[in-house]
Amino acid sequence: MIVVDGLRKSLRTGSTTVDILKGIDFHIARGEFVAIMGASGSGKSTLLGLLAGLDNPSEGTVSLNGTAISDLPEDKLAQLRGRTIGFVFQSYQLIPTLTALENVLLPYELNDETGGRKAGLDRARQLLTSVGLEARMDHYPVQLSGGEQQRVALARAFILHPPIVLADEPTGNLDSTNGQHILDLLLQLNRAEGTTLVLVTHDPALAQHATRIITLRDGLVVSDENQTPRVSEFQAGA
Amino acid sequence: MALSYGTAARIAARELRSSRGKFAFVVLSVAIGVAALTGVRGFSSSFRSMLTLQARSIMAGDLSARTTQQATPEEQAGLDKIAAEGTEATQVIELTSMASSPVTFDPLLVSVKAVDPAKYPFYGKVDLDPALAPGETLAKVLGPNTVVVADDLLIRLHLKVGDQIKLGNSIFHIVATVINEPDRLTGSFAAGPRVLLSLNALEQSGLLGNGSRASRRYLFRMPLSKPGEASSDAAVVAMKARLEALLPEAQVTDYREANPNVTSGLDNATSLLSLMSLIALVLGAVGVAMAMRAHLQQRLDTIAIMKSLGARSGQVMRIYLIQTLLLAIIGGVLGVLLGFGVQLSFPFFLAKLLHITPGFRVDMSSIAVGLATGLVTTLLFTLPPLLDIRGVRPILILRRAVEDSDDPFAARLLKKLHGNLVQIGAIVLILVGLIFLAAAISGSARVGIFFSLFLAIILLILLGLSALTLYLLGLFLRGTRLHLPSVLRHGLANLYRPGNPSAALLAALGLGVMLVMGVYFIQESAVKTLQITTAAKLPNMFLVDISPNEVAGVRTLLAAQPSVQGTPELIPVVGSRLIAFNGTPAAELKSRFRMPDDGPPSRDNNGRPRGVMMRNLNLTWGPTEDAPPPGDKIIEGKWWTAAEAANSSAHPLVAIGKFQALRLGAHPGDTLTLAAQDSQITATIAAVYEADSQHAYSRAEFVLPEPDLRGLPTIWYGGVHCDPSATAALQRAFYVAYPTITVISVAATLEVVRQVILQITYVIQFLAAFSIFAGVVILASAIAGTRYRRIREVVVLKTLGATRPRIAAIFSIEFAVLGLVAAAVGIAFANLGASLFIHFVLKIDYHFQPGLTLLALAITAGFTVAAGWAASFRVLGQKPLEVLREE
Repeated sequence: MIVVDGLRKSLRTGSTTVDILKGIDFHIARGEFVAIMGASGSGKSTLLGLLAGLDNPSEGTVSLNGTAISDLPEDKLAQLRGRTIGFVFQSYQLIPTLTALENVLLPYELNDETGGRKAGLDRARQLLTSVGLEARMDHYPVQLSGGEQQRVALARAFILHPPIVLADEPTGNLDSTNGQHILDLLLQLNRAEGTTLVLVTHDPALAQHATRIITLRDGLVVSDENQTPRVSEFQAGA
Repeated sequence: MALSYGTAARIAARELRSSRGKFAFVVLSVAIGVAALTGVRGFSSSFRSMLTLQARSIMAGDLSARTTQQATPEEQAGLDKIAAEGTEATQVIELTSMASSPVTFDPLLVSVKAVDPAKYPFYGKVDLDPALAPGETLAKVLGPNTVVVADDLLIRLHLKVGDQIKLGNSIFHIVATVINEPDRLTGSFAAGPRVLLSLNALEQSGLLGNGSRASRRYLFRMPLSKPGEASSDAAVVAMKARLEALLPEAQVTDYREANPNVTSGLDNATSLLSLMSLIALVLGAVGVAMAMRAHLQQRLDTIAIMKSLGARSGQVMRIYLIQTLLLAIIGGVLGVLLGFGVQLSFPFFLAKLLHITPGFRVDMSSIAVGLATGLVTTLLFTLPPLLDIRGVRPILILRRAVEDSDDPFAARLLKKLHGNLVQIGAIVLILVGLIFLAAAISGSARVGIFFSLFLAIILLILLGLSALTLYLLGLFLRGTRLHLPSVLRHGLANLYRPGNPSAALLAALGLGVMLVMGVYFIQESAVKTLQITTAAKLPNMFLVDISPNEVAGVRTLLAAQPSVQGTPELIPVVGSRLIAFNGTPAAELKSRFRMPDDGPPSRDNNGRPRGVMMRNLNLTWGPTEDAPPPGDKIIEGKWWTAAEAANSSAHPLVAIGKFQALRLGAHPGDTLTLAAQDSQITATIAAVYEADSQHAYSRAEFVLPEPDLRGLPTIWYGGVHCDPSATAALQRAFYVAYPTITVISVAATLEVVRQVILQITYVIQFLAAFSIFAGVVILASAIAGTRYRRIREVVVLKTLGATRPRIAAIFSIEFAVLGLVAAAVGIAFANLGASLFIHFVLKIDYHFQPGLTLLALAITAGFTVAAGWAASFRVLGQKPLEVLREE
């Protein structure tokens, strides 16, 4: 599903060049739940961004579903990304001028309206209901709490049944209760949709839910281990 | 913590450098207003300087005496005496007539100017093509059978130098084209292309009949005070007084006054255009204030940190005051440089009116006025956001949330008002400052007050309209959102983005649109009205300078023309002047208002003007003796009977027009003493009448019985209604039979007036456009202020799969709707203002112009989209991860 080969990323700031990723190789199979861990500055968010095609690597390639994305033109990359990847940001990144329903609907409108507007709306409403926001669909982000905004972002990530979901510290800006709730919803949606989930986190407790942990340090993979995932309260309930 | 000015300036400058892109628009918005103001005043100063430096050339003499009548024998004797003492004199005669090619006989209305080629001009030179050799005078080219003409005449009559031209009864050879005359500015208004000939040639042509109302100017050159040095001002002043006494009918001016109408017109135009520039400056200042407010919002943390370290509000305000000052100075300097370009462009707009191009001159006082006005306006309008710094509390570093108050609403409102007393004071100060600036620029405190209050009210109304429109648009969006295409929905939703341009911004842009469109609507209505007045049976052609022995023949010719409809009106006119009213000499009369043809006032011993009225009056008699002429209605008194008319030599009677009666305060029973040439008549007012202004008889405002005017020099005028498609044929027929009669088509005349109106309104619109530019720059500045928000939005959209064309479409819709809202508000107000002005001032009907309105909407939207993209063109190219990494 995801193939990373010899990935390097360097940044020039003034006269200094900073090597963020120094050569990363791994495969992620369909349906895997992978946590990418590392301390602050280890390069994990940069790696996630490169997986999503949000930037170009300095060297190496990234392939999604057999398509090398590193050299695609920007607009083609955007279209591929829209259809293939659902993204959950740490700071929600909702469009402030759109309602919760419209934010969830947005990827559908941007990428695939072949099913018609009604089908998209129905799907958006269903997702918002599944994350517990059926009464808040017409609210603007400024009217929602942090936890509610992240739930909207979750619903948005899944609207197009993406094969891959990338989550960058999805609970990083939330308190522990809300964070747990978000994690449970993420896992619930992941299970229901059968997506490949890649989660970036510095929190070991969060990483324990994954089936595989890739650990980065100073831009390199220092460990890549399968594990038995910890069962969440949700999973226990299921 | 003490914050020195040096430290404050350092912080201010660093912040400016780090936000160069954002503040570039702010600088530009100040520059636009300063450019307009310095350009207008710079041009005015150059023009005035040229008038002074070239004053003698512009007059073509040291003094000029303008009259419409030939000198009486006594006056001529006086002039001869002056000439004998060493002051040279020459005559210039100007009139409107018809000329044609002797082959095709299609007549063209021309402006004829006859001079003594041996003497004219006393100063300056006439530029010809081919040019005169050095040392040669006009006498070389202007003989009894030759003329020089304007290039325009050659084009319109399909002639060239060397061909012949028919003027009056004579045929002349065209020997050169006249490119420039030194006294063109001070001469009569040119209704057609120029024909320059000698006085002898004019005499020969037969155009100058007895009683003809040609304009005559006597030019004088006084003896040199020293070799190579023109006469002293004292000598000129003394000669002027002497000429005024010798020629009481004439308008005597000396070279220092050039043409009083020109300088007066220049002063008025400078004031008006300066005030229009002030509008652009005010808008620019509003832009600076908005940008500073947004900037301070982004600097809340910095301000809170400084306060937590001990800085007082005044010290922090010092930083941003210096920042504002720096922006105003940079903008002002840029504006001065741009103003040079504005100054250079004015001659281009006014070429057809001025006939003269002042040299380029850097006027330091105009620059100082522009810079000072820009600085003061910017500082004034930035006061309110700067004062908000007092309300920033250090706790903001830790917490952004505001504590709610438990007080009731009224108490909260009072508290808020009390807390904002200083802000209210700042707003009052802004208004007072604006009044002061407008008064200083216009030279009138009254104008300053009216202008400032009017501008403030207009801005408030536009603000309200903009807010209402945005509110209604928001309601529409809420009601239809999911039914709209997503790109449109997203674009409209962006209008309500936090930090997006507010109603105030739309009002600023709307003001610029309102100014330009308001002027244009008024211009269009005024010009359209000029094209009407061809109602059936009303004259659409006028005949000028018909001599008494031609009247019968003219009637016969008109009767034979099938294209002539209705009864032609031919009226006799005797030139006159008022000697006394109810025994009081005219020199002592005080009128409620003066008319241009009254001539300039004479002056008493202290140089103060003395009111002298009614120097150029038109007397006439009606077609029937016992009734008013056609188009005149009696409003007071009674018309005389045929018997009274027959006996009028014993008891002269006169009927007076309503307007002249008002000026004099005259009623039936009062007496007027009128003079014509050497005769005087004291007549009793029998009636006051009102003319409908649509008949030829409207030209004369004093009607007497025919016997009272018999034998006096008379010229006839005629009004004819001709089939509009046959006016050219009628002109040709007249020209062949009576080449000395001028036939003026109303349509052609109105076209000349229309061109003058257009020229003037071009300048006004040019300056009004500066207000639009200021509004567009403010818009761009505000959009630039939301750049970071836009970048984040673009990044999210790209992450979700949006292509760049789609993102571009969303933003373009947002910008276009902003422009449309501002334009709609501005145009609505322009229509309202123009309709009121046209109805109450011009007293004509106003017609809404949907095509023009739509075009203005589209153009404004186009400008706004361009400005929006200019402010955000690099937003689309941002790599998503670069932005997200900064989160």
